[in-house]
Amino acid sequence: MTLQSVELIRKRVAERPAELAEARTNGQKVVGWQGYNLPEELIYALGLIPVRIGAGGDDRLVEIGARYISTKNCVYVRETVGLFAENKDPIVQNTDFLAFDATCLQTYRTAEILEYYFNKEVVVLGVPRNFYWPEAQVYFTKEVEHFTGRLEELSGARLDHDKLAETIELYNRIRGAIVEIYEYQAERERLISWEETYDIIHAGYVLDRKEYLRMLEGTLRELQEAQGRPAPEEEDEARIFISGSVIPPGDKKLIHIINAVGGRIVGDDLWSGLIPYLDVHIGENTVEGVALAYINRTPHGALPYLELETDKRIKRLKELVKNYKAHGVIYHTLRYCDPYSFKAKETKDVLAAEGIPLLEIHTEYSGSDYEAIRTRIEAFVEMLKIRNFETLRN
Amino acid sequence: MAINQDLFHYPEAAKELFIRTEDITFRDGTRVSAEEIWEFLTKEAPVRFPHAFDNGRYNRNRISGDIALPYSLKDEYLSLTFNDRMLKAKQKGIPVAFVQGGQCVDPYYAAGAIALRPASVNQWAACQREGVTFTQAQVLREDDKERASQSISFEVCNTAGYEYIQEGSLPVDMIAPYSCLRCSDVSYSLEAHRHGKRQDVKLFLGDFPMADQKNKEWAVEYFAENIKRLIRSIDELTGRETTEEDLRKEIILHNEGRRLSREIAELWWAPDTPPTNGKDRRAILQMGGMEVHGDPEASLCVLREGKRFIEERVRKGVKGHGLIDKPARIFLCGSCVFPSDYRIEEGGGVIVGTDNHWSNISTLVEETGDPYYNLAKATLSYPYEQNVYERAKWTAEQIRKSRADGVLFMYNWGCNTQSAMARMLCDEIKKLVNVPTLIIEHEFQASQSEQLLNRVSAFVEML
Repeated sequence: MTLQSVELIRKRVAERPAELAEARTNGQKVVGWQGYNLPEELIYALGLIPVRIGAGGDDRLVEIGARYISTKNCVYVRETVGLFAENKDPIVQNTDFLAFDATCLQTYRTAEILEYYFNKEVVVLGVPRNFYWPEAQVYFTKEVEHFTGRLEELSGARLDHDKLAETIELYNRIRGAIVEIYEYQAERERLISWEETYDIIHAGYVLDRKEYLRMLEGTLRELQEAQGRPAPEEEDEARIFISGSVIPPGDKKLIHIINAVGGRIVGDDLWSGLIPYLDVHIGENTVEGVALAYINRTPHGALPYLELETDKRIKRLKELVKNYKAHGVIYHTLRYCDPYSFKAKETKDVLAAEGIPLLEIHTEYSGSDYEAIRTRIEAFVEMLKIRNFETLRN
Repeated sequence: MAINQDLFHYPEAAKELFIRTEDITFRDGTRVSAEEIWEFLTKEAPVRFPHAFDNGRYNRNRISGDIALPYSLKDEYLSLTFNDRMLKAKQKGIPVAFVQGGQCVDPYYAAGAIALRPASVNQWAACQREGVTFTQAQVLREDDKERASQSISFEVCNTAGYEYIQEGSLPVDMIAPYSCLRCSDVSYSLEAHRHGKRQDVKLFLGDFPMADQKNKEWAVEYFAENIKRLIRSIDELTGRETTEEDLRKEIILHNEGRRLSREIAELWWAPDTPPTNGKDRRAILQMGGMEVHGDPEASLCVLREGKRFIEERVRKGVKGHGLIDKPARIFLCGSCVFPSDYRIEEGGGVIVGTDNHWSNISTLVEETGDPYYNLAKATLSYPYEQNVYERAKWTAEQIRKSRADGVLFMYNWGCNTQSAMARMLCDEIKKLVNVPTLIIEHEFQASQSEQLLNRVSAFVEML
């Protein structure tokens, strides 16, 4: 049964475009952003309205986007371009300007294309690839300062220290609430599902952040009240963790298939899921403090790291799989998503050494591979169930 | 069953002129005379490397046939002795580093290493297989590529030499490319080496910052730091300490190559019918990058002599081998792409320039002051790595200078970043110079499909 607070969040997401349009009429500016290392706090602290843009699952928009970018780019960036080319999405329509970071190079190119073909003002934040070097952190700090300066020019406002401190506090509470809700979704009682949690995260892409925090706290209260409710009869025989390429709002193919064949998703380390909310430790309430916190998070797969043994991304993946008691990992890769596709075999080997099975699903947004994927996932889920049965029996 | 191959032979009649040309002097001070080169190309090489002498229409790398152009023969010699020369260098303890194509290699050589781009690594591997035909060489290359695909991803375009360094036989010591925007695969493939069999290979990423990088002082300083760390990393392999003066000297040497290439390009572009065919144009202009032969001094020798021959040909109005009068002139855009020059020339066209492997060559490095900073500033200024407006503006300038009639943008299957740029760049170029453009996806092979060649031929015909 869906929680009332989740129903309310979904309702408010549907109402949000009209609010954005009204806010713009009242002189506020809306910033559409995309990236991984881009600190949304800075947009918000300047009195701008941040909305995270990008969607998935619509093959028609992918085709439209490919006319401007190319068929050799991942479907996520093609669909992003398609959204702007078609210009019917109410969130996209309500953006005044855009902010992108250079974490993923295809996203970086997307920014250029949106500027070139659709006359969008785009502010781009450079991101170092040797992100763990002290010199890279200096570079990134200066990039974030420069980025802030550009936002100030476009907003006509100056970044206020108190406002930034207040924003950091707000965002820290949002992050904390999301992590807490994630713990609930993995519980045996199934008070909330991973799919609902995922929708909650995506709601945060567009909702007003103060209201969003209130709603997250409402969800947590509801979850606390529901504790002690009897667990459902169905067993958790195939607890699945999802890793790999982005699964943005609208891309439900993989999720539907896992559910349809009896798997239960209990966690993820996706760019569009939990991972951006983890490990953000802002030491000082300054632009530099924010920059360092972002670049020191679990890195995105697009940032190469040259030592397998000390790779924070791999380490975090293993911790999360363990924390959410997953039996296996489905590693989702989008066609031409090189940052994650190139790591599939390595990740499989690393997890195999820990006794964790991994299935790679390489796909895009067309429905033509639905049954092929379903067959593979069904076999994987069956295998996990048999493994669990044998473990219990022995 | 014996396979009949149409093999190229250097005619004896060309010997006399050729052996009177200059020796090649190598970085280690050794020399090879023109006579020795002739002996190698006419006796030893056809036996060891029959694939290179294949004269078939589908071999886009076939020997030029312009036997009166000594640098063309010397370039073949340097290509076909790749394995011999690299093994000799390895025996002397010189480390070999894999680098990105289209980047400068001054710091690698300053630190005493040899820098090889992907094409050079492939050439080295090809020279390890002796006695194979062109078709056999193609099949073996496909097998190599398949090994990399199995280990990394079937969508990989640039594998950072994985199939040879991790799965094969090339004794490369270091994978140390720049992460320029021209290619994203090379960074991810570099990372893939961390799970390869050879854990002794040193990994280093020259982090090329993006987003208006050349105008940001902090980006230049950051990249300068990358160059310093790169040199220190090579020093760990050589056991020596590279000084600022070593780097400055290397910059001066490489600037000479870059300058010579620019001057040769101006000469080559001037006549209505160019003085050489497309393959020989590419060969000499790319030498200015000082990395194509794995020996900057050897490249420089050939480049200096080559300039004199080009000057003479232009002065005398000599027409390039195999060209028609006033061919349709094509400017080629995109990374790691080489349509068959010969097929274009059969159709009445000629490739007059490229943006790739020209952007870096045409960028000189300031020779006085802090060499790290200067090199970083120049590298971040490569026109190929700028936003679409700046890249198109520079490309349009090259199109004007080379007097191209049309633009062909090609990208390899799996190349995310250049494919993403293709339409946008062509649209902007059309605005600036109003020339027709064609975008083609390309499969990275020495033999090329009839389908691809048909499309290129139709474009040439239209021009």
